[in-house]
Amino acid sequence: MNARLQKLIADAKAAWQAEQSSGRIRVRVTLDTSSIARGAEETLARLQEAAASRKIDADVGITGSWGFCWLEPCVSVRSAAGTHAVLYGNVTPDRVNELVEAIAAGRDLPSLALGVIEGNATAEIPLLEDHPFMKGQVRRLMANLGRIDPENIDHYLAHGGYEGFGKALEMDAEAIVKEVLDSGLGGRGGGGFPTGRKWDFLRNATSSPRYLICNADEGDPGAWVNRILMEGDPHLIIEGMLIAALASHADEGYIYIRYEYPLAFERMKKAVAQAYEKGLLGKDILGTGKNFELIVFLGAGSYVCGEETGLINSIDGYRGMPRIKPPFPAQAGLWNRPTNVNNVESYANAPLILRNGAQWWSSVSDAKEKGTKMFTFSGHVKQAGCIEIPFGPKVRTLLEQYGGGLSGDLPLKGFQPGGPLSGILPASDIDLPLTLDPYRERGMFLGSGGVVFFDQSACILDLCLFFLGFCEDESCGRCTTCHGGTQRAVEILRRIAAGGGRDADLENFENLIGTLVWSNCLHGQFAMTSIKTSLKTFRDEYIEHIVDKVCRAGVCKGLMPGRWARRAAPQPAAAAAS
Amino acid sequence: MAAEPGLQELRELVAEFQPGRGHVLPALHKVQRTYGWVPRAAIEAIARQLNTTPALIYGAVTFYSDFRTHPPAKFEVAWCCGPACRLRGGEAIREAIQEELGIGLDEQTPDHRFGLHVGQCNGTCHEAPQIWVNGRVRGNLTPESARDIIRSLRDGE
Repeated sequence: MNARLQKLIADAKAAWQAEQSSGRIRVRVTLDTSSIARGAEETLARLQEAAASRKIDADVGITGSWGFCWLEPCVSVRSAAGTHAVLYGNVTPDRVNELVEAIAAGRDLPSLALGVIEGNATAEIPLLEDHPFMKGQVRRLMANLGRIDPENIDHYLAHGGYEGFGKALEMDAEAIVKEVLDSGLGGRGGGGFPTGRKWDFLRNATSSPRYLICNADEGDPGAWVNRILMEGDPHLIIEGMLIAALASHADEGYIYIRYEYPLAFERMKKAVAQAYEKGLLGKDILGTGKNFELIVFLGAGSYVCGEETGLINSIDGYRGMPRIKPPFPAQAGLWNRPTNVNNVESYANAPLILRNGAQWWSSVSDAKEKGTKMFTFSGHVKQAGCIEIPFGPKVRTLLEQYGGGLSGDLPLKGFQPGGPLSGILPASDIDLPLTLDPYRERGMFLGSGGVVFFDQSACILDLCLFFLGFCEDESCGRCTTCHGGTQRAVEILRRIAAGGGRDADLENFENLIGTLVWSNCLHGQFAMTSIKTSLKTFRDEYIEHIVDKVCRAGVCKGLMPGRWARRAAPQPAAAAAS
Repeated sequence: MAAEPGLQELRELVAEFQPGRGHVLPALHKVQRTYGWVPRAAIEAIARQLNTTPALIYGAVTFYSDFRTHPPAKFEVAWCCGPACRLRGGEAIREAIQEELGIGLDEQTPDHRFGLHVGQCNGTCHEAPQIWVNGRVRGNLTPESARDIIRSLRDGE
């Protein structure tokens, strides 16, 4: 391996070892957007205060998310001897004193403990890996999350970081592409297109400079897997882009992060600055003569910039309107130069493939799709969190095992596999596997990993109104089919919800479904998916709304509440749709 | 309300940006970070600095929902419109806040102390339904607790 990189890694490992054997208690607070929403900053401040005032002799620091988002803030405490470490959940500011007392007394706090993360289980606290939420998870992308400080490059280097890049430095571009192709890594943004093939397109491009773009514009509401990765282990993404740069002879890279993720933006920027400092980015990387510049770019609130050519236009400085393809980005992308766009998770897998080999990487999944995938789940679930599992388990596993079941006492009505364009499926499809094909067969797609579950208190037409309203708002305005079509769909849905459904409306929807597919980009083409898929499986509910003027969930205010409605008396129609 | 910055001041602010380098959004972000919004004169200053037309910059400002063309209110309330929030009663939260403030989405109270706009899901769905007050998540709301938050902010000074 490159001698300079070897030294960086050796120094980082030595520093990590020294930190481990410092003989002090180590307290690590998960500090990410989810935990901050639950008071982690104050939890951290109180723990630091306790350490400063010598109430506890501890080294207090920060780390990324364990995925237990509904139990944030999570705090891990490692004994001074380094033989025993426990993860605690729900350490909100009002509970932190309990934990401080326990640390000061040198005992565990079983009431808040989630599990033992180092050493043996105790009589009161089982191992974390035996926690139902952790069972079946294969944490590869998330391996460092909760264990390292995301703002410290040395921590990453001490945990196998940049080793994959080191290996790639000794390979030629073709060999790197082959390794990634052999692994079977598919695009994680929802498309599943082989990542290696994309890199190969760029490698074979005829002009330069060439650009790499990391699509971190995770706009699907209900999905936050990319945020968890960027906030918890930003260097994994940088290393992935470096490997891609070697494989495709790229000169410059952009990480496009959405405006709603300010912390991810700050962490990524910090990580990139550290990588520059260590000579891992910039000119003459580690003395190899190779150059790669990396820029962290902040979006400004546009869903359609998640479409690769919309994103390219956005960096270019234009309105983020998707372009007409061809030419494809590999031919004419950023500034009309060859460009490759991949999702955060796609890049983040590259270091693992290079470090451990394609065979190891692909061995984890029995499904056609190889490797692991991160999922988040929300809606009517008890536990909204983030997990990493191999492709293949049933959707039911997400809901029952990881999501802890439904939050209310009503039965499941359906779920949305990933994003407002992905469609709506009924409860009877809960045993579909988490792979790409079954969703494609239904004219929809699995999406980028944000699954939303809903029970019988949800109204299908109201959900469609939300998704179509979202698509209307976020339409770039280029295609009349899309901006006009989504407007018509929203109008019809609002009219139905207000009690004005007409017999022709089902046909109206069919017409719109047939029309929007002629839009230029995926946004328009898939905008009607939620109506298209729910018209098939929830047709009764449409007819109830349109003909009987009944909303069984009691959500639509202009209609009579039906059997699942919790509202006692019907509201007057005058209070109808806003 | 702060006076609108002058053209000279704005030109200096965006002097670091260059044409053809993807600097439109970074320049607009810097202006908004500095003043809290993008004044009309900034569009002109950026266009000149980046050797392009004010129309193109204005096009970008209006395309992206996070650029403000008016000064922000003291308390900018973002109402999360995401699916988890909607399923958990987000619409009722919006109605309660709108009634409490007497304004609609993308509006400000006449005294410019409260502004209300739509927020896009940031993945803190475990706190649904929620609003963000000046970027801070206030979650697990009921219509009553949402009203209480607004009232306590209003009475807080």
